[in-house]
Amino acid sequence: MRKRSIWTVLTMALILPCALPPLLSAQTAAAPPKSVDDTKTDKWNSVPLHGSAYAGVTPAPAPRRDLSGVWDATGDAGPNGPPAGIQPSGAYEHKALLPGVGNPPGGAPNEKGIANPLPYTPLGEATLEAHKPTGLGMRSVPATEGNDPVDICDPPGFPRMDLSEFRILEIVQTEDHVLILNQFFRTWRTIWTDGRELPTDPEPRFYGYSVGKWVDDYTLVVNTVGMSDRTWIDNAGRPHSSELKVEERYHRVDQDHLELTVTIDDPKMYTQPWLALNKFPLRRQPRGFDIRENYCSPSDYLEYNDQVGQPLDAHPAK
Amino acid sequence: MRPKLGLIALLAVCFLAGSHTLFAHHGNASYDTSKTVTVTGTVTEYHWANPHVFVKVDGKDENGNLMHWTIETQNIVTEVNAGWTKDTFKPGDQVMIDITPAKNGAPFGRFKGRIVINGQTFKSTDQR
Repeated sequence: MRKRSIWTVLTMALILPCALPPLLSAQTAAAPPKSVDDTKTDKWNSVPLHGSAYAGVTPAPAPRRDLSGVWDATGDAGPNGPPAGIQPSGAYEHKALLPGVGNPPGGAPNEKGIANPLPYTPLGEATLEAHKPTGLGMRSVPATEGNDPVDICDPPGFPRMDLSEFRILEIVQTEDHVLILNQFFRTWRTIWTDGRELPTDPEPRFYGYSVGKWVDDYTLVVNTVGMSDRTWIDNAGRPHSSELKVEERYHRVDQDHLELTVTIDDPKMYTQPWLALNKFPLRRQPRGFDIRENYCSPSDYLEYNDQVGQPLDAHPAK
Repeated sequence: MRPKLGLIALLAVCFLAGSHTLFAHHGNASYDTSKTVTVTGTVTEYHWANPHVFVKVDGKDENGNLMHWTIETQNIVTEVNAGWTKDTFKPGDQVMIDITPAKNGAPFGRFKGRIVINGQTFKSTDQR
């Protein structure tokens, strides 16, 4: 018995040094991550992954009828402006910018000359001109002359939730509904997938009433009505009436990629439906991603406006 | 509960007063984007808050007069992605900051690239 133990120990002693180097090198060499879930992120207040994190990854196929995960809409910061999902100059497909002017001085009365104009009705055009945005578009006005409801911390509402400050969202699915949890304002929407019909003549809500239907195993189509006409569609002040209908098409391309297409249909304000987002890319974040707050706090706004907003826009002393 | 009610009342009053929207942040309309000014001085306050992060700097102008500068940037989430933290500035830091100045000539500006803190260049980069 004892002899056998010695032989075992001796054999192990001989084998181990041979086996260890490959084991060690496998641990120390930087093996390319196989999934974005292998990418290291901060445990708290996680920062969304840069596009390069996806470069070496071959994503798994899309799971069937499943959108769940934490998704990043910010994309990569371009050389001339903020990341894509933030949309400071209006809905991504219809930015209120003149061609070749990436950083406009603002002050234009209307959107004449934009690259991809919107089909306004006369009421739509008049309502647009009554809305005074303060962001980065061609119609932007000084803060003290603006009337953007979000500037005073009113809820952005839907569909503005998809069309401005669109950064991180978490999608949670249950048996009969889908929850979309949005970073900006920490808001959520419930999308019923239990087959119910949309309400007729509903009480207006900031975020409307939504139902969703899988049109194939990878595409959920969401229809939303009943949005309060106090909200704007985007940062450029695009208007809507209470007759607004929005269709969102969430298409899961693969495990790590989701595309969102948003169609605006409001016959009072627009002569035809228009695409606000067209296959807009969302990237899945690693498991354990912790979403940072991005609040509009009225007291922070009061402080900011007292110390920056008003003095900055005060008329110069003569 | 009381402070909350007070705040709501204040917001309501501001709303009803109606002459100006008092709460807003800024695009380009308030800044002269064709100009760059370099502010050199001492940090007195750093506001790590939304809607826009801002820093206050005391510095002298070319005539030796003390100026109280206020320099803003974007919201916290954008700045975090650019590598900023709640500790990027602290009172007493000696800084040199390039700014886009206010159109109205007031000592206000927006960060425009170069930031030097206590002799070290701070690189604002996309960290994602």
